[in-house]
Amino acid sequence: MALLNRMEWYNLARTTNWTPTYVTEDELFPPSLSGDFDLPLTAWEVYDEPYKQTYPEYVKVQREKDAGAYSVKAALERSRIFENADPGWKSVMKAHYGAIARGEYAAASAEARMMRFSKAPGMRNMSTLGCMDEIRHGQMQLYFPHEHVSKDRQMDWAFKAYDTNEWAMIAARHFFDDIMMTRDAISVSIMLTFSFETGFTNMQFLGLAADAAEAGDHTFANLISSIQTDESRHAQIGGPALKILIANGKKAEAQKRVDIALWGAWKLFSVLTGPIMDYYTPLEHRKQSFKEFMEEWIVAQFERALTDMGLDLPWYWDIFLQELNDTHHGMHLGSYFWRPTVWWNPAAGVTPEERAWLEEKYPGWNETWGECWDVFIDNVVDGNMEKTYPETLPYVCNMCQLPILGVPGKKWNVKDYPLDYNGRLYHFGSEVDRWCFQQDPERYAGHMSIVDRFLAGMIQPMNLEGALKYMNIAPGECGDDAHNYAWAETYRALRETRKAANA
Amino acid sequence: MSTQKSAQAYHNNRVGPVMRAGDLAQAVIEAAKIDNPDKEIFVDDKRAYIRIHAEHEMILRQATIEEELGRPFRMNDLEVDLSSFAGQIESHDDSVRFYFTTKV
Repeated sequence: MALLNRMEWYNLARTTNWTPTYVTEDELFPPSLSGDFDLPLTAWEVYDEPYKQTYPEYVKVQREKDAGAYSVKAALERSRIFENADPGWKSVMKAHYGAIARGEYAAASAEARMMRFSKAPGMRNMSTLGCMDEIRHGQMQLYFPHEHVSKDRQMDWAFKAYDTNEWAMIAARHFFDDIMMTRDAISVSIMLTFSFETGFTNMQFLGLAADAAEAGDHTFANLISSIQTDESRHAQIGGPALKILIANGKKAEAQKRVDIALWGAWKLFSVLTGPIMDYYTPLEHRKQSFKEFMEEWIVAQFERALTDMGLDLPWYWDIFLQELNDTHHGMHLGSYFWRPTVWWNPAAGVTPEERAWLEEKYPGWNETWGECWDVFIDNVVDGNMEKTYPETLPYVCNMCQLPILGVPGKKWNVKDYPLDYNGRLYHFGSEVDRWCFQQDPERYAGHMSIVDRFLAGMIQPMNLEGALKYMNIAPGECGDDAHNYAWAETYRALRETRKAANA
Repeated sequence: MSTQKSAQAYHNNRVGPVMRAGDLAQAVIEAAKIDNPDKEIFVDDKRAYIRIHAEHEMILRQATIEEELGRPFRMNDLEVDLSSFAGQIESHDDSVRFYFTTKV
């Protein structure tokens, strides 16, 4: 039987709005869930998804993608890639799966909200497929790490992390809850699919795939790049919504949502993806620096597409570009120093060769971040290990929930951005974090950061032991140096050589 | 200095697919050359993914990809390895178009 070409029936098939007669439009599409932009149903009916797909096409294509990803996994299962991998690379996998896998189910829920509550029929259609995409991502990213749980207890955090009060997970949940779990359908399309998925997911699922391929981890490279083929389709859900808002005089509201989501994503990726790419991935397998990946995916690709849609660069563009040089180095230093509080083993990544690479990619690294590492290295070489662990907590930002940091050493610029709101003093890591909070203070005001909880006595006993218990980090799961400080031997030898030369 | 370099990355008009490496990506590279005869096709191979770009607009036709691939191919099958793309997209039954509406 001859089949009609898709475009001969597509537009008719997705014209599924009707005029409700038994209920009001607001009852059918409650504004708080649908998106109250004061636009009538008809305004949303011109929504035209640029990347079209039908259900039969979806099933065929997804089947092919799954067959590819699972067959690569099966073929390489006996190759002992995990067992033989550099410990730094294992930490990449642990951090990735823990921070991402269960969040995919949250994304499925957000897609489901667009599927039911969007007033745009085309959006409902595409997010039906998007919802199934996200369920696929959740299932795969729990199934793939599962084979390693028996070999390494930290791998269990692929499943566990999302349910804990581990500090990085509080930050991840705070961001994902903000852009996808607590927003109306239209805002989800702008903040999750457009801002996050056309932009940042490329960093984690393609940039990191490039490093994975270099590291020989083809199972992981193939898995995450396969996931991104779903993203590239359903990330297009937000674009037409943006165009409708702009055409109806709502550009400022659209822009604000993009700017908030982009900043939150940046901060989260500065702690998750930055250290992975520039410190954990073995030097010889680094395809590009984190900053170079950011320039490729976010500056050149995402922001260029954003302005092509009729939006402006965010007001904090210059601050953002400056942070590309700095923030993730501070996040790495912090998460390494507080390593007992993460579910992976951070790689220090500061051998002389690695420092030369960092200096080349980030001129000035040695006289700033390097000065902190000099002290740390001396302590390790001197055997003063107690000085290499934290005794206090860092102050964390009330917006991004990540440590407040600045550049140390010769470019010292550490600064707090405080705000008094309804009698409570909030602290922020940047002018932009404070601005995000101020756009909708009531949305964020009641949240307590991990430090607020500590000071309120919610973490007992008030020491590292109590903190680990609160963060659900069991003995045997605590992070420590990925290479058990073997890298410090080079510095010990250097010191001996210097001593001999001076003798 | 380095911040200026970052800012410069924004000033580009390149559009086109970012494909997972494989035979489809190779067919798309050839098809891009054939279907966009007046344009230079930029190929940047990052091993796990390959950027295939042209200035301002790129069209890929189903028939050309099928010919280059040497097996039946429907336009929608592109998605199997289409990890990302630069620019905006417009999808049709027998072609796909990547484009920018503005020039910087």
